[in-house]
Amino acid sequence: MNVTDILAAMLVGFAFGWSLRKAGLTKYHKIVNVFRFTDLTVLKYMMSALVVGMIGLFFLDEIGAIKLAVTTPTYVVGNLVGGLIFGGGMALAGF
Amino acid sequence: MKWFIAQLRKESWSPYSAGVMLGLVAVFSVWLTGHSLGASGSFENLAGALLKFIYPPAADNLYWKHIMPAGISWQVYMLIGVFFGSLVATLLSGSFKLSANPDFQWRAVWGNQAWKRWLAAFVGAIILEYGAGIAGGCTSGLAISGGVALAPSAFIFIAGMFISGILVSMIIYRKKF
Repeated sequence: MNVTDILAAMLVGFAFGWSLRKAGLTKYHKIVNVFRFTDLTVLKYMMSALVVGMIGLFFLDEIGAIKLAVTTPTYVVGNLVGGLIFGGGMALAGF
Repeated sequence: MKWFIAQLRKESWSPYSAGVMLGLVAVFSVWLTGHSLGASGSFENLAGALLKFIYPPAADNLYWKHIMPAGISWQVYMLIGVFFGSLVATLLSGSFKLSANPDFQWRAVWGNQAWKRWLAAFVGAIILEYGAGIAGGCTSGLAISGGVALAPSAFIFIAGMFISGILVSMIIYRKKF
């Protein structure tokens, strides 16, 4: 990787961290309360990101700017078991 | 311009606008850098690099060579950016404060001792990272990056995450708070 790639990666991360912080998802109670259905910030944030991202990526794929590839392989049991373990840790730590 | 600066200095945004920003970041990241967002993978890269340094034969397998290459990867640089992004956002909104146990809800449920918060964060993070390793990503790497490409794995993962998250928080909270 050259310097431009590293700076681009850091810039992407910067914007990512910025949006997480401004949505309040760096706080314990925001993460835990989505599982208690008292504060749905996480869902609102994730679903808006998904919708915008889907439209953007499929549009770019349609006009041929990128070649859309699924980078996350599906193996039902692994994804589900991993998700189950992950959720437990998430509710405990609040990340 | 004045409005723009006021937005930058605001303590928090609507989760919808912050989410739209993340969606745009995800799109531009794939378009301009060719990489998708992800957080948990970088810890695996770093752990692999550490293992390679301490005991090289243990790192000499398929996982650390191909699935999660050991070393400083793109994601590690991205994660450094995440740290500075949230730091600058906090500094600009003027709410920066060092605290060992900052969350009011945590204190209401578990008490004021900082060690409990740190222990739960450490243990919880181990569980979380282990689950992410099995599933093939975390909330950002699998749910967001996979979800935007309509990968089935992302939605299976989100379902699993909510099932156990709800159960664990029910156990922790019961009737408290």
